[in-house]
Amino acid sequence: MAKQWTPQEQMLLRMTSEFTANEIAPLDLQIDHAGRYPDGLFEQVVATGFLSVMLPHEFGGAGFGPEVTAEVVRRVAEGNASMAATLEGHYKTVYQMLKYGTPALQAKYFPTAGQRIFGFGMTEPTGGSNPMSIRTTAVRQGSDWVLNGNKIMITNGGLAEVYCVLAKTGPQELSVFVVDQDMPGFAFGKRENFIGLRGTPVGEIFMNDVRVSDDYLLGKVGQGGEIGDSAHDDARILMGAVLTGIMDHALGLATSYAKERKAGSTPIGELGSIQRKLADIAMGRETTRLLYQNAAALHAAGQPYSEEATMAKAYGSRTAVAACDDALQVFGGYGYSRDYPLAHLIADARALEIAEGTVEKMRAAIAAAELAK
Amino acid sequence: MKIVVCIKQVPESNNVKFDPVTHNLMRGGMSGRINPFDKNAIEAALRLRDAVGGEVALLSMGPDSTAEILRDGLAMGADSAYLLSSRAFAGADTLSTGYVLAQAVRQIGNVDLTLLGRQAVDADTGQVGPIMAVNLNQPQATYATQLTANGNQLTVVRDLDSLTQTVELPLPAVITVRAEANTPRYETPLHIQQSFEKQVTIWRDTDLDLDPEKLGQKGSPTVVRKVYAPEAKTRAQTALPSEPAAAVDQLLVIMQQHGLI
Repeated sequence: MAKQWTPQEQMLLRMTSEFTANEIAPLDLQIDHAGRYPDGLFEQVVATGFLSVMLPHEFGGAGFGPEVTAEVVRRVAEGNASMAATLEGHYKTVYQMLKYGTPALQAKYFPTAGQRIFGFGMTEPTGGSNPMSIRTTAVRQGSDWVLNGNKIMITNGGLAEVYCVLAKTGPQELSVFVVDQDMPGFAFGKRENFIGLRGTPVGEIFMNDVRVSDDYLLGKVGQGGEIGDSAHDDARILMGAVLTGIMDHALGLATSYAKERKAGSTPIGELGSIQRKLADIAMGRETTRLLYQNAAALHAAGQPYSEEATMAKAYGSRTAVAACDDALQVFGGYGYSRDYPLAHLIADARALEIAEGTVEKMRAAIAAAELAK
Repeated sequence: MKIVVCIKQVPESNNVKFDPVTHNLMRGGMSGRINPFDKNAIEAALRLRDAVGGEVALLSMGPDSTAEILRDGLAMGADSAYLLSSRAFAGADTLSTGYVLAQAVRQIGNVDLTLLGRQAVDADTGQVGPIMAVNLNQPQATYATQLTANGNQLTVVRDLDSLTQTVELPLPAVITVRAEANTPRYETPLHIQQSFEKQVTIWRDTDLDLDPEKLGQKGSPTVVRKVYAPEAKTRAQTALPSEPAAAVDQLLVIMQQHGLI
């Protein structure tokens, strides 16, 4: 059964929908075509407090739980999936710093976590799905760690100012460190030119002898693999929400069009072939919603949620690609035009069959979890 | 600066119903929202507070459910809220409402500035602000688009459609604010949480210094005889050609026919 929102949560969600409808949704096509957020939009998202939705009160945040945070992401995604993915990248990183960060690390970075974006860097040119294949190293020098390497395909790479990065601290040992753009030896690389989620910057960072103390170690030495998995789990819930929002968007467009577009004198929404597509989109949207909300509820209840989160993204991503393809078909020739959002919705959804673990790897993880039962 | 912003709950939808006997708006069971112009008044108050310091209190009159819109205003960043709720206030017209609100402003005490939206979108009178000013014996300015505080003076730019007027008023004063004054901010997640930690002070008629003769229907001389949608009137129209040169030719002919040139 769906969670009953408290009055505070209802107010937050209503505000999110109003903000999305007024400020973000009208710019959806512009964001896709320009491949960036228009000047001022991201600043307005920050000023309205969206980065601090799930940040605890003691750090100046609003302290909302995982379920309402995911619902915020879904509602933003209904207006523009890129901005929802930007929030997802920030939230998943802050979640790891909440879960594994020392009080000193939290005290250093959380007071600004509501004003600037945090990102998580795992993938490298040599590999993403197999963390042990990374080449970034953190080597002990005296009481410090010296980091060298580069990370690619970071959600919000370039926009984010603070990064959690996975590094090898031994041949078979992974650890996570927090670095920021102001540290000597830190540099930004190129931005990816992706076919979807074109507003979300996805970029590269370089670390050339970046020196940090133990205070910048997230969790313990050797805990990197666990933290990486945890970041994936939190991201996958939020990506389920992004995918649900994409399907909300596609369904809204397709139903409106089916009511007004006529074949002869009959609105196409009265045709069985169109109704079947609308029903499939609606069912896909609902099943994805139930999957991510279930995972978020388990997270909120302090129970394991890894497998459920993985299901939300693995199932939701292919389902959303198919749903947006169906919506495009309802629009006919107009759907194939870049002057309508359907083409970018398919490309947006398609990104999430790859990001935060490919669907192939996720199916393997789900199967492994089932086989272990 | 201590600022009170008076806000009104108006129907969520424009599809409103009227009582067939009293011709008053039927509000029962209707979901409400802050009168949109009142959000401009809240925004103006918050900007003044941010510029010169002080506090912003919200004030509304209505049933206990009106606390919801006060909560919305608190979530925009206002500091406190007062709700005037009593059966004795039911059926009040603008005269009685303005009187009760003014008495509440007196009771809040040391208020430098009272702000309201230019009018409510349900009844569209725009009278409550001026009535409050008379009751409080304070200067007033309506239709404000800019407010600047200079010590104990307030400079107000008034937009009267055909002319713009700049006036200076000594404080305390009562000002009504136009939509053009600003773009109201959204509630923020943090302010939303904090708004539920703040108490909405509820005052009944017995909590205020009020003349019973000026309350509710007894204190309301306004009688609504009839509510109707004005008949749409169309005037004779002539469509000019879309091609500019031909349009100018035809326009000249028409102007000549009417003796204009």
